[in-house]
Amino acid sequence: MFKNEEMEINLGPQHPSTHGVLRVKLRLDGETITHCKPVIGYLHRGVEKICENQTFFQGQVWTDRMDYCSAVANNLGWAEANEKLFGITVPRRAQYIRTLLNEFNRLASHLIWLATHALDIGAMTVFLYAFREREDILDMNEAFCGSRLTTTAFRIGGLREDMPPGFEKMARKFLAKFPTCLEEYENLLSENRIWKKRTVGVAMLSAEDAIALGVTGPVLRAAGVPYDIRKAFPYAAYGEMDFEVPTQTAADTYARYLVRMAEMRQSARIIQQCLDGMPEGPVMAKIPKILKPEVNEVYHATEAPKGEIGYYLVGEKGSTNPYRFHVRAPGFINLQSLPKMAEGGLIADIVAAIGTLDIVLGEIDR
Amino acid sequence: MTEPIIPPAPEVLEAPAGPYVYDYAASPQRQVVMPKTVPLPSYRTYLAEVKAAAEADEAKWKKMQADYETAKAKAEAEGKDAPKPPVRPVPRKDDNDLKTPWPQEAKDADLLLLQEVLGAKVEEIFEQAGELTCQLEKGAIHEALTLCREHEGLRYEMLADQSATHYPAANDFAYSVVYHLTSISRRKRLRLRILVPEGFVPESACSVYPSANWMEREIFDMLGISFANHPDMTRILCPDDWEGHALRKDYPVVGWGQRDVAFREDRGGMIERIALQKAGQLGINLKQPKAD
Amino acid sequence: MPTPTLLQSIAITLIQCVLVVLFVFVVVPLTVFAERKVLGHIQQRLGSTRVASGHIGVTGWMNRGMWKWGRIPVLSYWRGIPGLVADVLKLILKEDIIPAKADKFVFFIAPAISMVSAVVVFAAISFVPGTFFIFPAWFPGLGGLPVSGGIADINVGLLWILGVASVGVYGIVLAGWASNSKYPLLGGLRSAAQMVSYEVPLAISLLAPVVLTGSLNFGEMAQRMATGTSAWGLVPQVFGFLIYLTCGFAETNRLPFDMPEAENELVAGFHTEYSGMKFGFFYLAEYINMTVVSALAAGFFLGGSWLLPFGLQGLVNQLLPADAWIAGPHAIFFVAKIIFLLFTYIWVRGTIPRYRYDQVMSVAWKYLIPLALVNLLLAAFVRCAV
Repeated sequence: MFKNEEMEINLGPQHPSTHGVLRVKLRLDGETITHCKPVIGYLHRGVEKICENQTFFQGQVWTDRMDYCSAVANNLGWAEANEKLFGITVPRRAQYIRTLLNEFNRLASHLIWLATHALDIGAMTVFLYAFREREDILDMNEAFCGSRLTTTAFRIGGLREDMPPGFEKMARKFLAKFPTCLEEYENLLSENRIWKKRTVGVAMLSAEDAIALGVTGPVLRAAGVPYDIRKAFPYAAYGEMDFEVPTQTAADTYARYLVRMAEMRQSARIIQQCLDGMPEGPVMAKIPKILKPEVNEVYHATEAPKGEIGYYLVGEKGSTNPYRFHVRAPGFINLQSLPKMAEGGLIADIVAAIGTLDIVLGEIDR
Repeated sequence: MTEPIIPPAPEVLEAPAGPYVYDYAASPQRQVVMPKTVPLPSYRTYLAEVKAAAEADEAKWKKMQADYETAKAKAEAEGKDAPKPPVRPVPRKDDNDLKTPWPQEAKDADLLLLQEVLGAKVEEIFEQAGELTCQLEKGAIHEALTLCREHEGLRYEMLADQSATHYPAANDFAYSVVYHLTSISRRKRLRLRILVPEGFVPESACSVYPSANWMEREIFDMLGISFANHPDMTRILCPDDWEGHALRKDYPVVGWGQRDVAFREDRGGMIERIALQKAGQLGINLKQPKAD
Repeated sequence: MPTPTLLQSIAITLIQCVLVVLFVFVVVPLTVFAERKVLGHIQQRLGSTRVASGHIGVTGWMNRGMWKWGRIPVLSYWRGIPGLVADVLKLILKEDIIPAKADKFVFFIAPAISMVSAVVVFAAISFVPGTFFIFPAWFPGLGGLPVSGGIADINVGLLWILGVASVGVYGIVLAGWASNSKYPLLGGLRSAAQMVSYEVPLAISLLAPVVLTGSLNFGEMAQRMATGTSAWGLVPQVFGFLIYLTCGFAETNRLPFDMPEAENELVAGFHTEYSGMKFGFFYLAEYINMTVVSALAAGFFLGGSWLLPFGLQGLVNQLLPADAWIAGPHAIFFVAKIIFLLFTYIWVRGTIPRYRYDQVMSVAWKYLIPLALVNLLLAAFVRCAV
């Protein structure tokens, strides 16, 4: 009379909590997920192809539009990969300003993560609190380079311009108030019983699985692996900064939340050090107007807010375009672990899992 | 009652001559410029190039000297002043912060270890821009990956990135597939590379590094290299019925699947004509001032 | 006082019905508005301040008026009110889409069930015990007749309330089923399980007042709960109030228990496929249910139309002269308490996240039902021993 039947359901591509156009094919037994398969590509724009047909300089605007929540981090990886390809040494002041902006961007990206992740779990007030602080960071972006989200902040060889007057004051003002804001979020969430019930032990991903699946960033660090490219392979001015790599061992959603909150504190610390130790000097290296590489290939990875963003460039002798422009997008690789996290959980858990992976479909589909 | 002044009906212009069809096939984005060189970084090629360049330089210098000798002999014979002796040209030194990273001999212990263990399966090892590259025979990639992961002295735990490049100008291969390995415990990176001819099916890395799953699907989608023993060798970014592989060099930037777009001809003129027609129907002459 | 004839009592009842429906349909939009504003202020923003329709039509006229009057600081707060009118107009005028493969009849009837069961509960709720007002002598046909504070003063009021309120779940389940779509189905199933589960602790927590007062009539219960119990009655009352309120949140599908429509999981849950006024009915029903739950809580635990909650009025009245204004019942207290509870709903929504489905169930079965039973025992003990 009764028979068991599994239901197939599409989570997305239009769904409030798939953060864009992610589609997840789910097979449900009641509300328990027995099978989960992410389907991507709805936002594929061919960024790599386009960048291969444009000059080295023009690629930057496309990196902005990959992970639009952390455009500066994408720019930094792109600029450094190009500098490695051509063998350019960037002035120290430019390195510091890059580090500064990158950390501000990390704050902005983590704030967006916090906002959307909390909203997915149902805490809607944190959303607006986090956006309030993000607004200040976007204002600073605007002060620095005129645009707020897709910054195109850097140039190959340094920066287009130095910090504008008053920028340092803005940054210090923000830093002064930011710790209290963090406390505000933590008051709402950290010890909230429902928040803990929804996140503790949910979407587990052990360290072995995470490494095998190539997962990087806060998700890996929440599994107890202290792998942060800023420490492991220092770039920009990170070698001179004093900061910690926060880790947790629980490997669940709550641990990732704690790691990201601690990371925000460390970012604020790095920004403070950048402001205090800002060296004088030029912000742009002396490079020719037209860059033509020798035959060379580089893979340069930096620590974006979501994980390791790597640029693989192949230079062709005498050409102004990169012969091959490949991006190792952190979200793309991290999303592979979604089935591992979600299978066996409930529908509500996959929402938490997607939120905790902090994906942006712009960089996954490229 | 006077007769109402009926304005002359405005002359109706000819109907627009159909939609303007944009010749899509001739558009610059559709044109494919095939690369003429094979920009495959290699220490061996670099050495050969340097040697050839040095020989060419030497030959040029020899020729200059010989020319000078003949010119000198000729001038002496004719009783004129001797020409200036040639100066060997030195490469111009650029005053900028740009120091091209050339390929260098492999000195890193990891590369040497790989060469030692794999022997003839390693085609080339070198360093460039601080990165270690090991080019392998195309059939040995699975063995090499397993070695990199398992060997006590290597311990590359993570496959950070895998990608491929199309080299249409090369003769004996069509693609290079590169694997970027990261050792988290030893803080090292390593690049493995294989050169693959068209139609060759390399072994999948999924069984060694599960993270290769999507990256290999992406390579399959974008370049058309399929991998053997892959759990799910389907397209990932493009739809399943997509034609062609976008990151091949013979694929135009705008793609093949795009429809031709028809643009309307000269909108302003059309609006004017329509306005005149409407006005004529309503008995209003837009062109002439109203009579008293 | 004259005894009304049959015709007169029908007329009076009709007038009462109109008044109650009017009350409901005034409170609901105001709750929606308050939700926007209160939520806005919790989240450090202004809430709604304008209507998109600008200067056109009725809302445009109201909009302009609001901005004009808004120069007066007190009124500036109400600028968003035309938005409510616009919302209602939108719901009424919007195209009503029925999915091709839906069960059309059930799809049609489901919002009606929700709505009707929500409104009909008000029949047994009395806003003030006894007479609400007396028609003036000049009133045609009804001069000098009293109008009581509730429509139906039935002696099984509580049973009626619980019975009719639980019919509402049919609306949601049937909506989820009839939509012939997967997300609504999941939402419908969730609501079936959740609402059936929470009916149990809700009913048990309401049994405590029944035990304490020995009546099922709403007015009598409210009166005895406010004035009649002993000081020991305070414990089961406070305790029962908290249990009742928690269950009330779940029964009305509000955060943190909004499983059937959990936006971030099930898109819009059981009403994903609904549009236009059918959706509007669900929306209205949710807010009416909130009002009902608040009214019950106000009546049974917060002292009803008396000033002080939890039976404290009985203690205070011993100290007050019998004709003191605050010693007696007033409808205004009742409404004020409802409004406060509605505010609590919004407050909670702005503060805490959503439970997971299995956790919602475990809260009901593992905690609330045992607690409610203990509370019932406590009430029985107070009733017998004190």
